[in-house]
Amino acid sequence: MLFFSFFKTLTNQVVTIELKNDIRIRGTLKSVDQYLNIKLDDIDVLDLDKYPHLSSVKNMFIRGSVVRYVVLPRSEVDVGLLEDATRREAANQAGKAR
Amino acid sequence: MADTEDVGSSSVSEPLDLVRLSLDEIVFVKLRGDRELKGRLHAYDSHCNLVLGDVEETIYVVEDDENDQEIIRTIKKQEEMLFVRGDSVVLISPQA
Amino acid sequence: MENGASSEGKDPSAFLGEIIGAPVTVKLNSGVVYKGELQSVDGYMNIALEKSQEYVSGQLTRSYGDAFIRGNNVLYIAAN
Repeated sequence: MLFFSFFKTLTNQVVTIELKNDIRIRGTLKSVDQYLNIKLDDIDVLDLDKYPHLSSVKNMFIRGSVVRYVVLPRSEVDVGLLEDATRREAANQAGKAR
Repeated sequence: MADTEDVGSSSVSEPLDLVRLSLDEIVFVKLRGDRELKGRLHAYDSHCNLVLGDVEETIYVVEDDENDQEIIRTIKKQEEMLFVRGDSVVLISPQA
Repeated sequence: MENGASSEGKDPSAFLGEIIGAPVTVKLNSGVVYKGELQSVDGYMNIALEKSQEYVSGQLTRSYGDAFIRGNNVLYIAAN
């Protein structure tokens, strides 16, 4: 739930998503779900010359499992808050994988 | 089984404890697809989803040179703040 | 039944419990091999190794003081 909550705090921010097939898409994060599927608006595909088939696409729903990275706006990330939330999540999860 | 567990915050009893102890430290991450990352660990979960700050990504690409010899080219990229999906992660190592 | 390791007849993860602290070889699906001291294992086969060395096609490529290996990549864990 940690990253679901985290991405919800980033809605309406501009992010760049790199997919596992190397395509990079920049857009406004409109919504996210528990699988980390992501809806992006006003998208731009970087390397459009390489992937011209996406030139007319304006919005997309990206399945979480095809994401490699999400490049985040640093100014919108409170790293202290994130680390505290991570420690809380780790305490909740401790021992579950035994 | 009498399982006397010490799940104190400083114990290293399960593998993910190694990652927990690396929070706010520089880590080296090996990914699928001949990629490596080095950056400060700000968040992780049990799937190994990560958030890293001040990251350097290294990508290794095999290419043929002019004599058809295989050479490995490295591509380096920098990102200020990066979310990494856990299913790409192979290894995480704290950088001493 | 009298020969072999003491984990014989128990389930496979009992074997893993018995080799904690011992030197092990971990092979990944990619063919990469890690040799080090087994710190811990969990139910996903996530592994923590101490003082480990990484071998790619038999060549030593890296050393790690501590290393966490995500379980889905693991082909096998062998006690040396």
